[in-house]
Amino acid sequence: MSAPTVLSTGGRTIRITVLYLILTAIALVFMVPYIFTVFAAFKPISQIFTEPAWIPPKSLFFANFRYDFVSGEFLRYLANTALVTIALTLGQVVFSVMGAYAFARLNFPGRDKLFWVYLMTLMVPNAVTIIPLYAMMRVAHLLNTYWAIFLPYVLGAPYTIFLMRQFFRNIPQEVIDAARVDGCSEWRILARIIVPLSKPVIVTATLIAFVFGWNNFLWPLIVTNSQSHYVLTIGLANFQSNMNSQWNYSLAASVITLFPLAVIFAVFQRHIIRSISLTQIR
Amino acid sequence: MTRVVSPPTETRRRPLKRRNSSGLVGETSGGHVGQSGLRAFLGALPFISPSLVGVVLFLVIPVIVLFVISFLNWNLLSPATVAGFMNYLNIFRFDGAAHSLGVTFYYVLLNIPLQTVLALGLALLLNSKRRGMGIFRVLYVAPYLSTPVATAVIWYWVFDPKLGAVNALLAHVGITGPQWLSSPSWAMPVVAFVNIWQYVGYNMLFFLAGLQAIPRTLYEAAEIDGAGPVRQFFRISLPLLNSTMLFVLVTGVIGSFQVFDTLYVLTQGGPGNSTEVLNLRVYQVAFTDFRLGEAAAMSVLLFGVILLFSIGQFMFFRNRITYEYSA
Repeated sequence: MSAPTVLSTGGRTIRITVLYLILTAIALVFMVPYIFTVFAAFKPISQIFTEPAWIPPKSLFFANFRYDFVSGEFLRYLANTALVTIALTLGQVVFSVMGAYAFARLNFPGRDKLFWVYLMTLMVPNAVTIIPLYAMMRVAHLLNTYWAIFLPYVLGAPYTIFLMRQFFRNIPQEVIDAARVDGCSEWRILARIIVPLSKPVIVTATLIAFVFGWNNFLWPLIVTNSQSHYVLTIGLANFQSNMNSQWNYSLAASVITLFPLAVIFAVFQRHIIRSISLTQIR
Repeated sequence: MTRVVSPPTETRRRPLKRRNSSGLVGETSGGHVGQSGLRAFLGALPFISPSLVGVVLFLVIPVIVLFVISFLNWNLLSPATVAGFMNYLNIFRFDGAAHSLGVTFYYVLLNIPLQTVLALGLALLLNSKRRGMGIFRVLYVAPYLSTPVATAVIWYWVFDPKLGAVNALLAHVGITGPQWLSSPSWAMPVVAFVNIWQYVGYNMLFFLAGLQAIPRTLYEAAEIDGAGPVRQFFRISLPLLNSTMLFVLVTGVIGSFQVFDTLYVLTQGGPGNSTEVLNLRVYQVAFTDFRLGEAAAMSVLLFGVILLFSIGQFMFFRNRITYEYSA
């Protein structure tokens, strides 16, 4: 009786070891480009040209970053990106919370029809609105301003409103009724009851908006045309095409662009995984 | 690139979750229109007005404006003139719209099937309660959150024929690597590879969630009936993942049709015009040629294709969902 058990646990250990080996190998495929990039960002160009990417730098060489920040204007791009992304995120989250509250918890005529309009706009692909939005920004004389970069996304996102509405609807009505009886205004109910009870979905919305704003490329590419308003993605793309194989600078610039996201990812990793699963609409 | 999300499928019954997904059905739709209705409406107005302005100004009106521009000759410098349907003809005659459409399909075909199979495979590997699965999951998802422009710059370097790690590695085993992004036949596969790398972990998460929602008892029953793991996968897991599959495919296809950032950095449509997808062509015609009418017509074409595909995919899977079960 005991012999087969031992045998099968032995087989199982081997199977589990193989599983972990496979998973580690796959993880390497995902991580290796980042590792090589960090290595290269700390190497002088001569070293990048002469040794393979998998050799770590001999010492921490900061000149690439110094060049990017000072001569390459990346300090400005970083500041622009931070400014635009924070404005976009704050607006999108706050206005989405407000809208979702009305759709989830207030009774007003035409509510459900209006919500359908919001849902229909989910079918409008991003790529399709680029040209008309450009034309509108041009007419409004907003081209080449910070406003143009975040305005189309700052007033709330239908998708986020949809997610939040689902969440708000699950908050027990009694809690809200009790607050109304106590004479709380709708604004107070939203701020003091709904928002504190909805942290997961609000953090999710914040992450979605932030990552979207930080990574956005096509739209800022179209509405900005001077270095003073460029965001990181534009600076990086220009850098890469102008700096013809000066990989030390463009790879250091990639690190500058990705580093803030890496920090956020490290801090919120558990939440991000949960968030993505939460965002699935079926 | 950020993904545009598929329209939610409101009425589909979600197994294992008690709520009906939107609650629009069977709900008291807002109060009576009248004096109290007006008051209720005015009360709600401050809450909805910012997002309503946003939706109308930045989503509804642009769609209308897009169609209007697609009927104009407009080069931004001189006043626009009416072009009628000419733009829709001219994009096929002079701007390579058909070629770009073909290239876009080719890209989607290289990208989506492989990505979906890999995502499902990764989910199956990670679908256990063993230690460390969380760490692997996080590592696999990391590329999804990374800036596509930055990862494209990185991959451009990795695939550099002379200096890149890929060819350096191949040289170690005695293979002379191809020119990758400068090769008309390799450029698109490389672009597809980069996008698969970026999004496969993200899609894996949905399959993982789908797999974990399948009740254990089904597998136990299958085991008693003598079904092996392969049979269990094809007879239980796969059919029950239908709605996850639909979501992953629809969002994946919609996203792929709009690919831009990666291509802008990696190939700019080249070599030649071998990777000139529709969205990139729209950008070129609009913002390097300044022919907004033609570009808008091409956008309408893209919009139409995306809609058709989403609807088609939706119908296909709707008819195939046979294994509904209730909790």
